[in-house]
Amino acid sequence: MATSWRMPMATDSRNLLAGATTRAAGFCVLWLVLAGYSLGDLPAAAVAVAGATFVSLCLLPPGRWRVSPLGVARLALRFPGQAVMAGVDVARRALDPRLPLRPGFVTYAPRLPPGSARDGFCALASLMPGTLPVGTNEDGTLLVHCLDIGQPAAAQLAAEEAVFMRAVRDG
Amino acid sequence: MRVLFDSFTVLAVSAGAVFFLAGTVGLLRFPDSLSRLHALTKADNLGLGLVVLGLLPQATGPLVALKLITVWLLAQLAGAIVTQLVARAVRRENQEA
Repeated sequence: MATSWRMPMATDSRNLLAGATTRAAGFCVLWLVLAGYSLGDLPAAAVAVAGATFVSLCLLPPGRWRVSPLGVARLALRFPGQAVMAGVDVARRALDPRLPLRPGFVTYAPRLPPGSARDGFCALASLMPGTLPVGTNEDGTLLVHCLDIGQPAAAQLAAEEAVFMRAVRDG
Repeated sequence: MRVLFDSFTVLAVSAGAVFFLAGTVGLLRFPDSLSRLHALTKADNLGLGLVVLGLLPQATGPLVALKLITVWLLAQLAGAIVTQLVARAVRRENQEA
């Protein structure tokens, strides 16, 4: 995971300011949705929003990801079905008296280059049926843990990655 | 209409509880740490999703509904990321052993 805690360099300070403003506005909305509106909460909200914005800018500088709204919508529409399949699959195996598991590892060569977009894809893939990326091999491929190595995990990951790449890419 | 909504809530929340139970059973029965991670993330995420879905008709306003969905999304995000971190830690430990 290539995580940098340095503040992004101010080579493009207008871009940074615009990114900071958008994110701070987003975190304000998130605070209002979660905590509701109350004048007494204002100091806590201000600290939380400022802290969240700072951390967010450190971890993902503005312009790092190119995001396609249509691609994200497609990803979001696909997600509930996948979540149901993943949950049903695990529940069925867990509750079956015979415990039908064939756990093991498969290697998957992702098309996404190493970076934050690939990390995002790995996090998403860990919510998908049967697959759990656990790290990168020395040759740059992904090591993926599978509950049942009889399942076509690589094909499934490739399909998932194609949808993900239309939504988010490293810029 | 009320009865319909309430029945939906009972059904969806019960189904959610079944998936939480299945996730916990998996946590106890699955043979290794990585398999257990599958059980925790996938079954519990679906369980929470169904509980949230079931509670939506009981929400007193759109803001409460939005809050429920936001909590679910945050749990998904946290679950996916923590799973990645735990999986990498398990792998490191296996390599050192």
